[in-house]
Amino acid sequence: MSSEPLLRARGVHRRFRTGPTVVHALRGVSFDVAAGCMVALVGRSGSGKTTLLNVIGGLDRPDAGTVHVDGADVTALDEDGLSRLRREKVSYVFQSFGLIPVLSAAENVAAPLRLARVAAAERERRVELLLELVGLADHARQRPAELSGGQQQRVAIARALAASPRLLIADEPTGQLDAETGLSVMALLRGVVESEGVTALVSTHDPVMMALADRVIRIHDGHLHDEAAGQLGEPVPDAG
Amino acid sequence: MNRWLTHRWPAPHWPSVRGRGRTDAGALLLTAAVIAVVALLAAAVPALLRAAADDAVQDTVRRAGNESHLLVHADWERDAGPTGGRLRISRLADDVDDLRARATYTLGPDLDTALLPSIAVVNSPILRITDGNLPRTVQLTYLADDLDGPDVTWIAGNAPGPAIPERSIEIPYHGPPWPMQVGLSEADAAALQVGPGDRIPAEDDHGRDKDIRISGIYRPADSTDPAWRLAPALLRPVPGADGPGTTRVAALLSRESLPDARLAFDQDQLRRTVHFAPAPDALTWEATTTLASQVVKLKASSGSSAARDGSLKWESQLDTVLRDARTQISAAFTQAAVLLAAVLTATVLVLLLAADLLVRRRTPALSAARQRGAALPDLGAELIIESTVVSLSAAAVGLALAHTTAPGASWTWTIPVVLAGAVAGPTFGTLAAARASRDRHQPANPAARRWILTTGRLRRAAVETAVLIAAVAAVGTLHQRGLLPDTANGDTGELTGDLILPISAVALSALAGALVVLRLLPVGLRIVLRQALRSRRPLAVFGAARAATTAARALPLLVLVSATALASFALVVGATITRGLDDGAWHTTGADARLDISSDVQDATPALAERIAAAPGIEQVVAAQITDSAPLFTESTLLTPRLVIVDAAAFGRLLATTPLPDAPALSQLTAPGPDPAAVPALVRSSTGDLHTGTQLQLSLDNGPTIRLTAVGTAPPVGGAGDVVIVDAAALAEAGLPAVPNTIWVTGPGTAQAVSHSDVPADIVLRTDILQAQRVAPLTAGTLRLAWTTAAVLLALGLLGLTLAAAAGAQERWQTLTRLRTLGLRPRDARWVAAGELLPPVVVAAVCGPLLGALLAHLTLGPLELQLLTGQAADPATVLPWWLLGLTGVALVAAATAVVPVEAALRRHDRLSEVLRSGE
Repeated sequence: MSSEPLLRARGVHRRFRTGPTVVHALRGVSFDVAAGCMVALVGRSGSGKTTLLNVIGGLDRPDAGTVHVDGADVTALDEDGLSRLRREKVSYVFQSFGLIPVLSAAENVAAPLRLARVAAAERERRVELLLELVGLADHARQRPAELSGGQQQRVAIARALAASPRLLIADEPTGQLDAETGLSVMALLRGVVESEGVTALVSTHDPVMMALADRVIRIHDGHLHDEAAGQLGEPVPDAG
Repeated sequence: MNRWLTHRWPAPHWPSVRGRGRTDAGALLLTAAVIAVVALLAAAVPALLRAAADDAVQDTVRRAGNESHLLVHADWERDAGPTGGRLRISRLADDVDDLRARATYTLGPDLDTALLPSIAVVNSPILRITDGNLPRTVQLTYLADDLDGPDVTWIAGNAPGPAIPERSIEIPYHGPPWPMQVGLSEADAAALQVGPGDRIPAEDDHGRDKDIRISGIYRPADSTDPAWRLAPALLRPVPGADGPGTTRVAALLSRESLPDARLAFDQDQLRRTVHFAPAPDALTWEATTTLASQVVKLKASSGSSAARDGSLKWESQLDTVLRDARTQISAAFTQAAVLLAAVLTATVLVLLLAADLLVRRRTPALSAARQRGAALPDLGAELIIESTVVSLSAAAVGLALAHTTAPGASWTWTIPVVLAGAVAGPTFGTLAAARASRDRHQPANPAARRWILTTGRLRRAAVETAVLIAAVAAVGTLHQRGLLPDTANGDTGELTGDLILPISAVALSALAGALVVLRLLPVGLRIVLRQALRSRRPLAVFGAARAATTAARALPLLVLVSATALASFALVVGATITRGLDDGAWHTTGADARLDISSDVQDATPALAERIAAAPGIEQVVAAQITDSAPLFTESTLLTPRLVIVDAAAFGRLLATTPLPDAPALSQLTAPGPDPAAVPALVRSSTGDLHTGTQLQLSLDNGPTIRLTAVGTAPPVGGAGDVVIVDAAALAEAGLPAVPNTIWVTGPGTAQAVSHSDVPADIVLRTDILQAQRVAPLTAGTLRLAWTTAAVLLALGLLGLTLAAAAGAQERWQTLTRLRTLGLRPRDARWVAAGELLPPVVVAAVCGPLLGALLAHLTLGPLELQLLTGQAADPATVLPWWLLGLTGVALVAAATAVVPVEAALRRHDRLSEVLRSGE
């Protein structure tokens, strides 16, 4: 594990205005995540989990504070810079899988590689490897509708790993899966973190996932409470 | 417990109804606007057509002129006297009045209302004037109406009186010519150069002289009196009435001179006829069937023409004229019905699409309500209350506007639109709510997933097969049965059940064609996708992938292809009618103008032709002698075709500069024929009596008999079925010089040049004929409807495109946003969006017009458009490619505009919303 954290958030504030009402989703959130870690982000609905993931992934901009991913200041990047960040360093796994229905499992996995203009041979090799990794080598030519929900989420994970990101963000990845399938997906995530050396930040309600994580960060009303593998931990002091 | 005891009526949650209405006011108003506009069109068109139908009947009857008169004849009582001679019956005019009264009584109330007061006409045979000058004829005529004949002023001499003072006298058969007094109009007297006291030297066909004494010269008090139309020669000489080169004058008999006229001719030579002219303003389309059948009954009840008694013998073409008018009207009704069915089909599809959009917007709220425990019947009731209020209110507005535009508007055609508006939304909404409480997980069992896919495919295939079968059956019925109502079962003018299928043929075929395109598009897009996957361009892959994904959505493509195809079909109908009218006008006149020269000045024709040719803006001038019913003998029979004697080369040049079909065979008229002793002729026959190789003998006006030999096919000349064309020079060489009586003129300066003609001639301008056809009530109405239908269908297509884009916007945004999480740049996302939207639109823009053209090719024949254009045969289908292309361009332009508009509308949407958004 590198001494430099892969993810560094400092004093992140995010407010939403709904008419006259202002909702503070994040209130000065600061934390670091070391490379190669699997972090479970837990909290009740509306606690700010998704907002935090959005800000970290560059899908949303904070009102204040900074987020660095692999040394890049996400909050300072323009649209092209964010596109490049998402292409090269950050990837996502959606609760609803987000696969392209008419493309086969292999073609879905290859999508980020196409955007990164990876050569066809290298692309095919990488896709084959990833499908092997998620246990779907025999389903490469099948379309999402021909796969079960768990298999679709495995394809989504393979796609997220395709461009060899440094950070994988997954928001409730087992939300649409039954318990057994969800467990296998979580185990897969745990496995790929280790095998691919990727850092994973996963929001979840699933206690099994929390058990699989290297670290659990609880978020409540926009504040963080850090606990390492089942123990309460101190949040990183606000740099600001 | 009995289910009825536990049953409860749906209990709508009114605040939800109001809330949904407020939230989706825009979409509901759009639906209402579509229903109102189409209801206005569907309700007003039949009423406007019914009004046009009355005008059309009146117009047709007016154009038919004397052909539409109802005539009745009756023989005279014999005038044999007690001593073997003939009695002079002094009250003979009373017999004529009695005939009028009997005939009027026999008519019955319906015909009596539809006809003008009768006019009795007593005519003598045509007599040849023997003053040795020009070939002239004279006819003696007595007119009687309710006012005892048309009023005249005797400007010289007196009204005709009895030839002898005795009221009753018996004369021997075969005695000397019996004298009779007549009056002459000023023009006739001037033409004959006679005055009061003079005699008109005349003889009958047997060469027997007649003693016709002129008692006076009259001037009509009102030359437009309908009675004069029955004997126009009573006003002035009529050239050509008894053959080319002849002029007829007429002499007026009075009540007092009529008995002498009878004695002056053989027993039955004086013919009495009562004319009933239709009162066009009193004719209505609804009455045509009754009137026609009553005329037929009268004709059927006629006494035998061979019977020598006083029985009434009816003659009329009025029934045929009315039936023709009714056939034309029925054709216009069914043509309008075909176009309306097209509009309604597209409207129903658009309303389904609008309902789909509305339900997509409402699905989260409906799902939430369902998950909170709302019962499906309650939700369905809420939705149906809303949609019914919207649909009925909109239809009421449309109907009210239709009533303002066209009194008597009917709501029948609005039913499908109102039903679609009222039912589609609640059905889709209830299904969406029902899905919310169902397990949405994809089954883990592959067999279960396959079963779901298979049942879905089978359901869709069943629906598509049903539509295809219906379309094939409809087109088959259209071709076998046609579109005209079944007159054998009594044509009521209403759309009967047996007409529904053929009327729907075009709409069903468009739908079937759209389904075929719907089946083929995904196949095509998968091929494109496969190609894109081999390429190095990621945008092509994602665009094609999106297009292939959304191609599975049936409604948008059905709306786009059907609306475009039906709009194209309407454009083809409009263009075909327009060109048909134009062609009809060319065929009627044969040039930009045709001058029919009066027979008494035909010597001036060549000089007139030269003067016209010298006028500015004249391209072609051709003079010809046209003789209708020219006596031509074959070896076995007498034929009476239209004989055209013309400079063949000039006629060929004329045809070459007009849209009329060229006639290269004309050159054969000036080349040596197979028989050097015969003049070459081109022939045309509707019955096959005339064909190449036919040998003919022509004899005109006591001229030499000329042998003709048919060497080719003649081009059509006017509406004549049988035509013979010979070259004027060749005929002159054979001894029969032509006397041109017709001049054809072409060129932009035609109207100006012929208007200054100083020679008496009937000038027939093509533009006048065309204009008259265009403004004819049914033609104008159907043309307007065709263009309006095309515009409405195109608007529906564009609306469908907008709705389809809006319905897919959320999903498209989610996909694009997910692609952006993979690293797609914002500006590239627009290309992917265009890649999704454009393929179905381009396919619709290309396939729609092609399908419309195919539909026109398949169905225009049975549509009987020639009944509107007045052509003898079906008008040639005209494909207005630039208009069809414009339809496609409009669609593509609209689709292209959707992408930036959508991007602008979405610019405030946060990318972050995608992380949690479900599919």
